[in-house]
Amino acid sequence: MSELVAVTVDDRQIDVPKGTGLVEAALAAGIEIPVFCYEPRLGPPVGACRMCLVEIEGIPKLQAGCTLTVQDGMVIRTAATSPKAAEGQEATLEFILVNHPLDCPVCDKGGECPLQDLAFRYGPGNTRMTLPKLTVDKPIPVSPLIALDRERCILCYRCTRFSEDVAEDGQLIARNRGARTEIATFEDEPYRSPFSGNVIELCPVGALTSTLYRFEARPWDIQNVPTVCTGCPVGCNVSVTIREGKVKRILSRNHPEIDRGWLCDKGRFTYPHLRAEDRVTAPLRRGPKGLEEITWDAALDDAEEMLREAGDAVVTALSGSETTEIAYALGRLLRGGLGAHSAVMPEATSNALEAFRLPLSAIGEAEIVVVVGDDPIVERAPIVDLWVREATRRGAEVVVCSPTGDLSTEPGGAAALCHELAGSRKALGRKLRAAERAILIWSGPGGGGGARLAELAHALGLEDKPGSGAFHLPATANPFGVAAAWAASADADEANPEPFELLIVSGDGAAADPSVRLLAEQAERTIVVTMFHELVGGWADLILPATAALERDGTTLNVEGRVQRVRRAVLPPCPDELAWIAKLAARFDVELPPQATGVFQELARHLFRDLSLDEIGLKAPLPARHPYQVPEPATTPSSALPTFSDEHYVGALRLQRYRALFSGPAVERVPQLDFQRPRPEVELASVDAERRGIAAGDAVLVRSNGTSVELRARVSRRLVEGVARIAEEHAADLHAAVEVVKAQ
Amino acid sequence: MASVSTRIEKLRKQYPKSTSAVLPALRLAQEEHGGWLPPEALREVADALDLTPAYCLSIASFYDQLRLEPVGRTLVEVCTNVSCALSGAQQVVEAFERELGLEAGTTADDGSFTLGTVECLGGCGWATVVAIDNRHRLRVQADDVPAIVQELRA
Amino acid sequence: MPEHPQIVFAGTDGGALTRIEDYESAGGFAPLRKARSMAPDDVIAELEASGLRGRGGAFFPTGRKWAFVPKPDQLPKPHYLVVNADESEPGTFKDREIMLRVPFRFLEGCLIAAHAIQSEYVFVYIRGEYELEFEVLRDSLEAMRKADLLGGVTVVLHRGAGAYICGEETALLESLEGKRGQPRTKPPFPAIAGLYAAPTAVNNVESITTVTSVLALGAGEYAKLGVEGSTGTRVFSLSGDVVNPGNYELPHGITLRELIYDVGGGLPGGRELKAVIPGGSSTSVLTAADIDTKLDFTSLVEVGSSIGSAGVIVIDDRCCMVQLGIRVSQFYEHESCGKCTPCRVGTRWLTQILEKIEDGRASQPDLDLLLSVCDRILGKCLCPLGDSDAIAVLSYVDKFRDEYQAHIELGRCPLEGDSSLEGILAPSAMHRRQAHEVAHV
Ligand SMILES: Cc1cc2nc3c(=O)[nH]c(=O)nc-3n(C[C@H](O)[C@H](O)[C@H](O)COP(=O)(O)O)c2cc1C
Ligand code: SF4
Ligand code: FES
Repeated sequence: MSELVAVTVDDRQIDVPKGTGLVEAALAAGIEIPVFCYEPRLGPPVGACRMCLVEIEGIPKLQAGCTLTVQDGMVIRTAATSPKAAEGQEATLEFILVNHPLDCPVCDKGGECPLQDLAFRYGPGNTRMTLPKLTVDKPIPVSPLIALDRERCILCYRCTRFSEDVAEDGQLIARNRGARTEIATFEDEPYRSPFSGNVIELCPVGALTSTLYRFEARPWDIQNVPTVCTGCPVGCNVSVTIREGKVKRILSRNHPEIDRGWLCDKGRFTYPHLRAEDRVTAPLRRGPKGLEEITWDAALDDAEEMLREAGDAVVTALSGSETTEIAYALGRLLRGGLGAHSAVMPEATSNALEAFRLPLSAIGEAEIVVVVGDDPIVERAPIVDLWVREATRRGAEVVVCSPTGDLSTEPGGAAALCHELAGSRKALGRKLRAAERAILIWSGPGGGGGARLAELAHALGLEDKPGSGAFHLPATANPFGVAAAWAASADADEANPEPFELLIVSGDGAAADPSVRLLAEQAERTIVVTMFHELVGGWADLILPATAALERDGTTLNVEGRVQRVRRAVLPPCPDELAWIAKLAARFDVELPPQATGVFQELARHLFRDLSLDEIGLKAPLPARHPYQVPEPATTPSSALPTFSDEHYVGALRLQRYRALFSGPAVERVPQLDFQRPRPEVELASVDAERRGIAAGDAVLVRSNGTSVELRARVSRRLVEGVARIAEEHAADLHAAVEVVKAQ
Repeated sequence: MASVSTRIEKLRKQYPKSTSAVLPALRLAQEEHGGWLPPEALREVADALDLTPAYCLSIASFYDQLRLEPVGRTLVEVCTNVSCALSGAQQVVEAFERELGLEAGTTADDGSFTLGTVECLGGCGWATVVAIDNRHRLRVQADDVPAIVQELRA
Repeated sequence: MPEHPQIVFAGTDGGALTRIEDYESAGGFAPLRKARSMAPDDVIAELEASGLRGRGGAFFPTGRKWAFVPKPDQLPKPHYLVVNADESEPGTFKDREIMLRVPFRFLEGCLIAAHAIQSEYVFVYIRGEYELEFEVLRDSLEAMRKADLLGGVTVVLHRGAGAYICGEETALLESLEGKRGQPRTKPPFPAIAGLYAAPTAVNNVESITTVTSVLALGAGEYAKLGVEGSTGTRVFSLSGDVVNPGNYELPHGITLRELIYDVGGGLPGGRELKAVIPGGSSTSVLTAADIDTKLDFTSLVEVGSSIGSAGVIVIDDRCCMVQLGIRVSQFYEHESCGKCTPCRVGTRWLTQILEKIEDGRASQPDLDLLLSVCDRILGKCLCPLGDSDAIAVLSYVDKFRDEYQAHIELGRCPLEGDSSLEGILAPSAMHRRQAHEVAHV
């Protein structure tokens, strides 16, 4: 309990903790001080807009309330009780409106616009500005996602402060000076940042609007559904705007421990994939004339028949983005009903990390953060990237150990590094040991799904330090939940049937995975549950339509180990998975509730100590740490990739594929996101580029026996020698060792 | 002459924090690019100081002496703030407009001259002050202008 | 003027001391040696005793400002001295002459100040338009380095790039950090969290140069000059409609009459004095009636103005006071940093209303609106720039109400095109004109 100070706001006495902001203190006293530029999440206040002027006893000049923290005995008078403050507020509002176009009727912000509300409450009602207003061309595209109306802009600098001080992308800026100041990007370059969409929500007026939402709806004919994003394992809390049964936009729903009200553009802008051209809405069967639509009854008959023929010779490929309920239901059907225990997951996960649980927000308070693994954090769990930046700003030491990091590490070298850090020889290891608030993050494939990181955390004794913890950032949204549910769905051990007959592909993540395609080639037959025809049309024998997360009820288990509720925002164009799985299960005498709540109750008994949905609520709590359990030892060697003896050998480079944040079947179906997708590039270390006479921007051929792709060369000062980094979607089926030559 | 980036590197070392070098760096880049800052100049400075081109633009566009449009080979700027104005600055401006055949605020098509007015140059006691390529001529009067222009043309 | 004691310009007899040996033989660097032999706090005490107050405009006691800077052991961060050589206040051109004529005395003052606040870093932020001044300082600094006088202090000459607002101390610090020159909210004050959020003293060129003289003379001697509350001499910048414009170092407390007539030789062509701006364009205007006002802090406050930067602009009867308002307002509009709303919007609006009045298109409500907009700027801004515009314009209307009234009643300027400011083209107007042309094609 921190020290209290007594302050008086408009004659109301109130005690607040020392260091409380004046605006917050007033709010605690039940008094709202209007603000525009003030937004604590953007760092220190700037006092720019002057909307928050208040009178403070003993200070002759009006003060910008937002810039002050209350002192003991402070007597504050807001517009409510101080004519002087009221006059100041009126003045600011008049100045703000002097050049404003007042085009509220055609403004997306209309009805949910702070400026409109304040003008309505305190505004003059008439304008004394009879002289020419500043006018400019409008709206201009800041990017394919965001439109800027400079006449509406009140220059609160929220957007530019977000760009400079939160996302730290340095893309969205203020240009010129004085009355000619305006928001801009460089030249005609788009605002290209994984977090760009946040400026739309930050903008207190209709200056920055979403091109996807423009003119789509008015605040009074929409509903908002609270759910969580399933774009990545973070599970940002979102609220989905619905109009006439369609998703119109996605806004953040600030969970201070998880996302602090920020979203990445993938989570915010991918929803149009719900209405993709090739969305599968009815079951399809491969017949003599290719794929043909069939009824659900026929589809279930087929499925049953295929399953009975295959018996336990079934392999299930899970996406890792199913709700925990779907994974559990599938498990009950296949494992319980057929004894088909074998499943493949995109990535391993490890329970050992449950001993080092922390809210993501703890990263921001860390003294030291060590990131290992081959992938940049932002590609796997973007919001975590913002927390790490926050840590840096607050003075934490942040060390990224990766092929492109501060401490450059061979691809696949993370596990070995963890082992070293566990020992006391490395200085970094000693620092970690000494710190009270040390955070470890594994961002990349391998490492037994965080098992190696858990071993390190344990060696450093982090389970006994409440401010310290470790996170494994998986590539999919709910691998922890899916793995746990699959495991809980039967108590037999996994067995790999050799050979197997039937492959069941659960979801688009799996369907899009090249290794799953290879499995499909080995299988007699394949059943695929998918949203998109194009993805599987070529190779599936039976296609069952999948629902999107926005159409589902259920739960997920996020990167922190937090159970969160996914809520159905819109009706799916087809029955949801749980409904037909229950029907199919019944044919194998497996009894399953047909909807999420029922399934959850059942699996909560196994997994979550009978946690109830009410306990999860709208802002899910973080469960306590579990005792440390020694994870499976490493099976594969720390670096599975081929190594080359002579470093100057100008031959093969190691191919490092990475899964870009803006990739995958859903993103590919939203044209406005194309500019965010990875460019057709291969990243090379400057030394490797030189040796091959390759300059930045050159067209190059990347070859590995048989296959070859043409890409642009990106030359990097940071990338470790001997590696060619290519985004998954541009790496086609290149092999682990590639050769890179200048294209003729 | 060392390359721009190496010279910026030297500037950078003068300061405890490298971002402080952005103004000197932009001034330098402007000299290198004929008196203004084309996009590639902003990119150069950004690279040398680990900033973004957009950041450099936000800085450059704030300061009057940093220019984002091409400027003539000779830059003529007349102070028209109060003290110079009281001493006949407007007549000096008009004299330059006549002699150069240029309206204040524009650049000659042949790129020879840019003429403009500026705020107080800190020479109020020696009005009218005219900055020619940033060198100050003091006590300039309308009658002096023809000679000055001739000298500049020569 | 020789009959007045020269403190800042001591030893120059009208010329310049730009050779290090000349300066040394004129007693140079003795004050530095003296200061370095003293404990930092004693140097500060000496300054407090001298009564020296800031020459940049705010007139804040220099010694006290330094006393606010925490001691290194209290706040173990690097300490910085930042010298404000951004001199851009219309009517002010003294710092420039100081840097040209007594560069060593100025740099010596920097080192004394650095010693007093225990700083190893001095940044001189010199306005970008001062080329010659920069070169003189650069060469003088080099000479002092060779003469091994810097004593381990790093002195960096940092050039601005054309922005009046960067003279405001927190905007200056932002600019020096490589950001847009926009003022910061205070608190925290620079003394606690200034450059790079470390303890920083920001002082004006003349203040710093005077520091050297204070140590040379001793606080007691120095304090004898000038008047109560405004000790010592001041370099007055005299400009406008006056026979002998220029910089004059005079003791605080001489009257406007002495400055304009005795020193400045009066108005050209025997014209009539109409108005005087006493401390740079940011200060309230005075009229001929105020001619016997003493030029010191308190006397000017008593007549409702301020000593500001001691830039005295003399205005004769040819000048239209509405045009003066326009021109001054155009300056602040052009120089507004754009951060806070009242200044960014209000300064432009003032210009527009004043133009309407000058064009004879205005009616009574417009004049009321003008005053009301001034009031709505006043005291609402993040820094004093916006206020300066409002203060100036308010004072013009207040002192020359009839003339403003006449514009409205006659529907034209009473001077009918003969005003000395007629048609003057301000940069802001030039930009607007260009912008429109672009719009046309
Ligand atoms: C808009 C504005 C412009 C200013 N310009 C200058 C300037 O050009 N030179 C200067 O020394 N002080 C200027 N000041 C005052 C500085 O903020 C600061 O008070 C001063 O440099 C402190 O030095 P001193 O205490 O030695 O006077 C300005 C203040 C404002 C609000
Ligand atoms: S665009 Fe919006 S957020 Fe950005 S400065 Fe303008 S009003 Fe503020
Ligand atoms: S909210 Fe306080 S100045 Fe903007």
